Amino acid sequence: MEITFSPAEEEFRKRARDWIEANKPSDPPPENYLPARREFDLAWQRRMFDAGWAGISWPKEFAGRGASLMEQLIWYEEFARAKAHEPATLFVGLNHGGPTLIACGSEAQKAFHLPKILRGETVWCQGFSEPGAGSDLAGLQARAVIDGDALVVSGQKIWTSFAQIAEYQELLVRTDPDAPKHKGITWVICPMNAKGIEIRPIRTMAGHQDFCEVFYDEVRVPRANIVGNINDGWRVAMSTLSFERGTAFLSEQVRLARVVDELVDLARVTPYGDAAARAKMALDDDEIARRLAQARAEVEALRSMTYRSVSRTARTGMPSAEGSLIRLFFSELQQRVYALAMDILGAAILEWDIEDRVVEGAGGPRHQRMRETWVFRYLLSFASTIAAGSKDIQRNIIGDRILGLPR
Amino acid sequence: MDLMLSADQEAIQQTVRSFLEKELPMARVRALADAGPEAIEPVWRAAGELGFFGLGVSDAQGGVGYAITEEMVLFEELGRALAPGPWLGTVLAAHALARQTGAELAAARQRILAGELHVALVERSGAPTLHVANGRVSGERANVAGANGAGALLILDDAGIAFVPCKPGAVTIEARPSMDPTRTIAHLTLRDAPCAILASDRETAAAVGREATVLACAEAVGGIQRTVEMSVEYSKVRHQFGKPIGSFQAVKHRCADMAMRAEAARSAMTYAVVSVRDGAADAAFQAAVAKILCANAYLQNAADNVQNHGGMGFTWECDAHLYVKRARSFELTLGSRQRQLDFIVEQFRAA
Repeated sequence: MEITFSPAEEEFRKRARDWIEANKPSDPPPENYLPARREFDLAWQRRMFDAGWAGISWPKEFAGRGASLMEQLIWYEEFARAKAHEPATLFVGLNHGGPTLIACGSEAQKAFHLPKILRGETVWCQGFSEPGAGSDLAGLQARAVIDGDALVVSGQKIWTSFAQIAEYQELLVRTDPDAPKHKGITWVICPMNAKGIEIRPIRTMAGHQDFCEVFYDEVRVPRANIVGNINDGWRVAMSTLSFERGTAFLSEQVRLARVVDELVDLARVTPYGDAAARAKMALDDDEIARRLAQARAEVEALRSMTYRSVSRTARTGMPSAEGSLIRLFFSELQQRVYALAMDILGAAILEWDIEDRVVEGAGGPRHQRMRETWVFRYLLSFASTIAAGSKDIQRNIIGDRILGLPR
Repeated sequence: MDLMLSADQEAIQQTVRSFLEKELPMARVRALADAGPEAIEPVWRAAGELGFFGLGVSDAQGGVGYAITEEMVLFEELGRALAPGPWLGTVLAAHALARQTGAELAAARQRILAGELHVALVERSGAPTLHVANGRVSGERANVAGANGAGALLILDDAGIAFVPCKPGAVTIEARPSMDPTRTIAHLTLRDAPCAILASDRETAAAVGREATVLACAEAVGGIQRTVEMSVEYSKVRHQFGKPIGSFQAVKHRCADMAMRAEAARSAMTYAVVSVRDGAADAAFQAAVAKILCANAYLQNAADNVQNHGGMGFTWECDAHLYVKRARSFELTLGSRQRQLDFIVEQFRAA
């Protein structure tokens, strides 16, 4: 048992740290205008690619970094430490679409798409969930029928982040309505500029519009875009999701520890309690201080859980269902952390604008970015127990696959 | 970086588990709770023959030559079985005496390793009314676990460590009824009891305190894991409405939460044990983190385990209550959750 990294891994850490510090975008990302955000993320991705850091988990064969699990962990730790910008609009391409093509794609699909994803030339989005198929993903209804050399897709998808700015979509469609529900699904690459696609942004409870509904009216997708075999899409999709449960969430798990550090700093300078007793700061309050200590202990435990999970995967060679234990712990902890931020800030949260604005501060007026506010991050945290498998589904996975409980 | 068990550790785990299944099945643990302290002596001598008390003591000192990471495996198994007796004080005394010279202390060490000398840990929780002067110790201490039947005491205070042989007249051990049936308690009165000062500096005392805390956490993780297993086993076989209750999400999801807490506690504990072994700069913080996570997990899992067993869970016959009681006594050992949280708060406020 070891908690230290090898000299080679420490050397890797130093190189990663130096490079990220020297090259991370210094300007804040233009978050509220998606086309600009797309260009910003793609440019950052290109910079990582040119320096050989892109696709940290992708095999070298496909021009990825081919980093070991430990190196991936170190990379994400250093990324979080430097507070470097995460190119969120590229998440699906780098962590879903790309890895799925690597696992199940044809040679032509790999040769065409993988370099574009890695070099920061294309944005991908996901077309899995539907209004009637959320937790029960296999119940999806979007239809596709074969017509010559094309699949003709009709139906609707929902919760598609960045559909407005994506070139391609990983799309699940029902190609055999008579087969058992897991057997009649096909995984296909859908070009988002195809005729018959309509995109409608959805406003979230946090006020932003990153995700969308997508409607398909007899959209013709080339048959060559089918990944794996027709009607074998469920297996193809599961290869993506098991990857997601493996390392794709390392980054946000590592970042949560930084958020708690920020929160302690916030409590140090935030007046707390009744107006009459305003001399006191939140950190002077024993209840707030102990809740911060609890959060600090829990993010430390999250890190140890992550290390244990990486150790296990390094030994067995594949991510296991145990990832659901971490996912569940993380998602609930993240919500506790941001709820604590609200309690620390007290009445200061009441005035909040869903647009960026100029606020008066001790150092004079400054530009306040909506997405950096604690209120936005708190509201956004409600998604963490819903997205990528709700906490109830995570509990089912734990019960069924880890504990072996009857279904 | 590797937080999984090594092949050696897995072998130790198997050896200890087989030993405890044979020597200390739950029926025997329950019987021992009603018997005098001498009833456990044959089990301890058998454990001594297998080297259990000397896992972290060097070969030259008569031990097995492993480290606290292997003792972690032992304590997890002890916690799983709710094994009675002052294992923690005895193993820590073996460590502390291995650093000493002198024939008398060497003889005590040999008796510990052989499973003949039981040493109760007298830790700082409760009123610090023990006074050490001129090689003698006087005073009282309440709620000392496993002292009944102990041949010696290991006193662990902020300022140092003392080893006290239990001499009649000098050390009075008065057994008290224990809330936790698998863990005896006693009231100690010491009158000019001769002692060996094993350390008289805060650093050494704190280091031994960290070892004590993380091994107690390992013991807790064994109990936490057992609550998960008990709930899963029961909810597979107990049928209501024509189905095993584990198929109902209300029960399944509670079991999933128990498994999640067990994994969090185990991860924090494992990381802390290795931090303590390596003398890491943040070992005290990691020990506090482990204590907080293990106490939360043990208390909640033990309570959920009672709930999952329904009416049976409320009976004395069902083992579920034994883990509730052990969770409570663990929470109060070596610094409560609140004390651990306040240790982290002090770090925030000092920064």
